[in-house]
Amino acid sequence: MKTLEEKWTAWIDGELAGDELAQFEASLPDRAAAEAEKRDALKLGSFLKLHLPCPAMGNEEFFSHQLRERMAEEAGGSRVRESAGEGPAWWPIGRLAWVGATAVAIFTVFAFFVMREQPQTDQSQYLSQILNARVDPVVSPNATITMFESKEDRVTVLWVDGLQSLPSEYASK
Amino acid sequence: MHTEATPAQADVPELDLVKRCQKGDTAAFDELVTRYRTRVFGMIYNMVHSEQDAWDLAQDSFLKAWKSIGRFRGQSSFYTWIYRIVTNVTIDWLRKKQVKGSGTEFDDAVQLKEIDPASRTVPKADALPHQRMERQEIRARIDAAIQQLSPEHRAVILMKETEDMQYHEIAEALGCSIGTVMSRLFYARKKLQNLLRDLYENA
Repeated sequence: MKTLEEKWTAWIDGELAGDELAQFEASLPDRAAAEAEKRDALKLGSFLKLHLPCPAMGNEEFFSHQLRERMAEEAGGSRVRESAGEGPAWWPIGRLAWVGATAVAIFTVFAFFVMREQPQTDQSQYLSQILNARVDPVVSPNATITMFESKEDRVTVLWVDGLQSLPSEYASK
Repeated sequence: MHTEATPAQADVPELDLVKRCQKGDTAAFDELVTRYRTRVFGMIYNMVHSEQDAWDLAQDSFLKAWKSIGRFRGQSSFYTWIYRIVTNVTIDWLRKKQVKGSGTEFDDAVQLKEIDPASRTVPKADALPHQRMERQEIRARIDAAIQQLSPEHRAVILMKETEDMQYHEIAEALGCSIGTVMSRLFYARKKLQNLLRDLYENA
């Protein structure tokens, strides 16, 4: 359903036909005034056509040349952006696999060296307890203590000789 | 619809040129630009009234067309498609300019050579000084009247009255319905009739 404005415009431009045209013209309250308005609108159209001619460009060839340069710049810019890594943010699977394998290898080497240098807590715990145990020189004047240690086997042997009695904290429980 | 293409270029169907463009053929695009640059420039000039701005906007429009030509499906003619880009670029620019509220409204310093509408390809011989002055005054009045229309109304009246485009072509170019085109045309004509009646009644 066309609005009044749409019908009016179509009527001026000769786009109404058949029943639609007859109905529209019959609906006009003042046919003479409408015809005068139509002539006025058509006169405006001719006037605009006459006084708004297509202006000539100053330099058509330069226009095309400038456009070609801009297109080339755009194409160059895209290539530079792609090579600078501004293209897709995701990595291909191959690259991801290589990066993952390298990370695992670095972690393994690092972990190996750290584990090797880690002090053996069992050894130090017992050794420090025994060395710190006081041997009473009055009770056991000839007591000697010798320590044998094998780090590779993680074994420490404490050889105690001339001990007359054990300190109370070493009594069997 | 007039074009600027040489006879040899004019033989090449437009759709073939478009297909070559879609494969990255810049020479084919150059031919399309040659065909439409004057019309595009003229259309923009009549909307913005500045030669320099019209030049820049025509450049932007063609560049945008080149970038998006892959999306052209051939469902409309190329000139309707390029006009859609042109009107979008120009209307956006006019809106921004209205928001900023700056810049000169008219490019009085530039004297454009006009092409006789009858021939539309050969520049008209220079008019006598008083005729030229009179034409400039009329042109200034028309420009001032068009300036009072919204960008959308400007586009519709210029496409209809100076480009002889059909309703459906204007609708495609502006991305709106035919009813909207007719409605905008109604109000644009009314406004220009009120503003210019004394000029065209005495012409």
